[in-house]
Amino acid sequence: MKTKKLALKTVYHILVIAFGFVMIYPVLWMISGSFKDNSEILRGSLSLIPSEWKFSNYPTGWKGFSKISFARFFFNSFFITALSTFGTVISSSLVAYSLSRVKFRGRRLWFTCMLATMMLPGQVIMIPSFLIWYRLGLANSYVPLIFPYFCGQAFFIYQMMQFMSGIPKELDEAATIDGCSKYTIYSHIILPLLKPAIVTTVIIQFYWKWDDYMGPLLYLSKPASYTVSLAIKMFADAASTTDYGAMFAMSTLSLLPVFLIFLFFNKYLVEGIGTSGLKG
Amino acid sequence: MKTEVIKAKARKIFYSNEMVGYVFAFPFIFGFICFSLIPIITSLRYAFTDFSMGNKTIEFVGGANFKQLLGDEIFLKSLGITLKYVFISVPLKLVFALLVAFVLTRKTRMQVLYRSLYYVPSLVGGSIAVALVWKQLFARKGLFNSVLANMGLGTINWFGDQKLALYPLILMSVWQFGSSMIIFAAGLKEISPTYYEAARIDGANTFQSFVNITLPCLSPIILYNLVMQTIQAFMSFTQAFVITAGGPDNGTMMYALYVYNQAFKYNHMGYACAMSWFMLIVMCIITLVIFKTSRSWVFTESGD
Amino acid sequence: MIKKLLATFLTASLILGVCGCANSSGQEQSGGNTSSTDTVVEADPSEPVTLRMAWWGSQTRHDITVAAIELYEEQNPNVTIEYEFYDFDSYFTKLKTLVASDQVWDIFQLGGNFPEYIDKIYYMNEFIDNGTIDVSDIPESYLKITQDTAGNQIGLSNGLNTYGIAYDVDMFKEAGVPLPTDNWTWDDYKNAALKISEATGHYGSSGLASSEFIAGCSTFIGQQGKVGEYSFFNLDLTGMGFDDAQMLTPYIQMRADLINAGASPDAGAEMEITNIENDFLVTGEAALTWVAVNQFPTIYDICKEEGRNLALATIPRVSANGPAGSVIQSSQMLCVSQDSAYKAEAAKFIAWFQTSVECNQILNGERGIPVADSVRAALEENLTEGQQIMYDYVTLVGTFETPEKVNVLSPDGQDEVVDNYRNYIQQVVSGDITAAEAAEKTYADAEELFK
Repeated sequence: MKTKKLALKTVYHILVIAFGFVMIYPVLWMISGSFKDNSEILRGSLSLIPSEWKFSNYPTGWKGFSKISFARFFFNSFFITALSTFGTVISSSLVAYSLSRVKFRGRRLWFTCMLATMMLPGQVIMIPSFLIWYRLGLANSYVPLIFPYFCGQAFFIYQMMQFMSGIPKELDEAATIDGCSKYTIYSHIILPLLKPAIVTTVIIQFYWKWDDYMGPLLYLSKPASYTVSLAIKMFADAASTTDYGAMFAMSTLSLLPVFLIFLFFNKYLVEGIGTSGLKG
Repeated sequence: MKTEVIKAKARKIFYSNEMVGYVFAFPFIFGFICFSLIPIITSLRYAFTDFSMGNKTIEFVGGANFKQLLGDEIFLKSLGITLKYVFISVPLKLVFALLVAFVLTRKTRMQVLYRSLYYVPSLVGGSIAVALVWKQLFARKGLFNSVLANMGLGTINWFGDQKLALYPLILMSVWQFGSSMIIFAAGLKEISPTYYEAARIDGANTFQSFVNITLPCLSPIILYNLVMQTIQAFMSFTQAFVITAGGPDNGTMMYALYVYNQAFKYNHMGYACAMSWFMLIVMCIITLVIFKTSRSWVFTESGD
Repeated sequence: MIKKLLATFLTASLILGVCGCANSSGQEQSGGNTSSTDTVVEADPSEPVTLRMAWWGSQTRHDITVAAIELYEEQNPNVTIEYEFYDFDSYFTKLKTLVASDQVWDIFQLGGNFPEYIDKIYYMNEFIDNGTIDVSDIPESYLKITQDTAGNQIGLSNGLNTYGIAYDVDMFKEAGVPLPTDNWTWDDYKNAALKISEATGHYGSSGLASSEFIAGCSTFIGQQGKVGEYSFFNLDLTGMGFDDAQMLTPYIQMRADLINAGASPDAGAEMEITNIENDFLVTGEAALTWVAVNQFPTIYDICKEEGRNLALATIPRVSANGPAGSVIQSSQMLCVSQDSAYKAEAAKFIAWFQTSVECNQILNGERGIPVADSVRAALEENLTEGQQIMYDYVTLVGTFETPEKVNVLSPDGQDEVVDNYRNYIQQVVSGDITAAEAAEKTYADAEELFK
């Protein structure tokens, strides 16, 4: 009986690991590609170990194009991503608090609007938003890429509301009796308890924004202002007989921040998603 | 004395529910009006004009754009392709997400690691970098074909055949089941273990308890994931833009890509707005259908 | 050599002129200029000036253009040039958004599709007349290729150019296929492609999709009938230049046949070509491809390094003694933008870019044969092998009998027609429609532009 259990357990682990390996194979392949010679990549070699380690892909790629190095693109991406993630966390938690904890007139209406925004296809508003920013003379700047995130993101507002519904209302009531205003309840009780949901928001918003391609494609035009994703696409298009090795090297680097954030906050990821409110 | 009264009054207003609510909700209300409502209305207005960038005179053309839509072969084709993409990728993605989430509920020390492993594709999948890798994987001499060739099978010209070209994109979407998986995992955690124990006492095996306990308990979350993933799939743009640019013969011309092309490549803004609106309507209908049918399969806990 | 070319140019310039006005029909012709004569700011030489500039092209072009810009900045310390560069499609996508917002780059590159952007172009006459820029080094005839009939200087040409077929000499020999002659026909071309692909397993004919429509399909129309009888669009870009859609059919059929036979890349393979430098001819997987000849020296050098030997042939003809259909044209030009705050400074840069020997030694004719006499003379002194072939080829094309009037411009909206045309070919390949139907559809799409 015990051996059977052990055998089952082993099979379980082997299967999970094997399938997981297949899942991340393309990513591993890309990473190993960053150490391969261009010709080896083009031959479609399956191997994850380069036949000859070519570390020079990294310095080659890092040089970027036309005197703008990837240092610049990384800085741009960090700047945009950090600010908009910060904005999302602050604004979404404020809004989520008001919609889930404060009984004010119009709350239902705004909640419905929030749900509607969540389901609104971006394409519908893409063109007019673009034109509005142009009229404001801000289309060639980071403002359209950052500012809207300070106005709350429906998806995260919703997630945080779900999470808040799991925080006992009694805490608020006790605090009110102690003389706390709604403002202090938010800053002293809800916000600290919201930590797991905030972490989830940070992870997801960070990589959404970091990977974002359409936004920068529409709004950025000077190469010096490009984000990493835009730069990599440019790199792939313009490079003569595309240097896949260097491209993969930069791609690998571009995924690094996302990985780091994820590894750092990983264990909170599931905790931060509240689903209780989804029921009923 | 008077200032005291005013102060008190001000304080009362400041701390009233109305005030607090609107202070906290202000960012959203502002954002909603500026970045959703106004653009939506503008978009609707443009949909009835021949608006194009650089063209200073905008002419009202009535329903001409919508009429043109129905005769536009590429539009109809892209609508069909997008529906195909949604109907294949979303169910597959959810099934995978749920199965893997369920399998990974098993408490082991490796759980966190495993979950991360399966989450990696979602983490990186939306990036240009991975799209470029995907393009290379399915290229004529790419990884997939070299595997096939090694096994003595003929190679497949994925992006040369419009009937096949969509599948690498679908596969890529399914591959990124991680984010749905995380949400399922969070939901699974909240199913009370007593249910399972009770079932086990009644002699149910894993499969039976999955069908009879897990699925019903998770059904609201399935609904949530279904709606969100469907919407996301409809808007899918980057993959097609980077990997196939819509080709061959518009075989991967996703709706969002065609809107983008009409708007920014051919500069038919009015027409593109009409297309966006058409899409909004189609999606509303589909979402509505999902919600309507959900009444028959979403299980609500009584007394809540 | 110049003399030989001159005749061609005079006619070409007439046409450019025709188009200049034709396009503005409906809007006031002055769209280009009147409004802003008074807005020109004469910059103080010490005042810092920032100019924005953009172009499209391959990596080679980006690198040399940036080097040239840096040289200019060095010589003019008050000027900073912010540059952007794109592949062809992205360039025009971006330009359209800038047109909408009146933020077009101070200096921008345009080709035959300039009529679409005429409202955004600031004519350069004023700067030539008041001596801001000195273009005396550019022969009158070459200035004319970028003027309209009213004599408005739309821009300054980046160089002379024409289309040709670059081919791998050894691959032809290996397959035992006779090398192209100056008047080879489409049948010869097709047979060569088929035979080579059969013998070598490589593509007989590759082709960057974006140049195929103009170099192939539209030339094919001009080659039919008498010299100058037909053209794809009519000369003033107000309608079609031929009546019978079926004139396109043999060409479309040939393209589809080649793809079906595996002698030309199918849609999937074609997608892998992003610019001339990774064309299958250059990667050694095809025997020939279309080029705008200014691109030839670059790919010649790349192939030379790998021990391969490229040559240039003419675009095949419909019949050996029929019209050649090729014309020499301005490759692209640089224009001053109507939105620029420093129009004079922009014009100065453009003039320098086209006439400075120092600058062009960096640019090295990559955009075509330079138009300024001294520059051409300086470059001709030490031509590379590839450039020599290009010069000889352009001279050869200059000897062909050309119609009195030609039109190398494209009407507004051509992008969509070309995209559709490519899809129709794919539909012929997959057997969904016949070549005759594809021809009809392409014709109908093109005609639609003028409604």
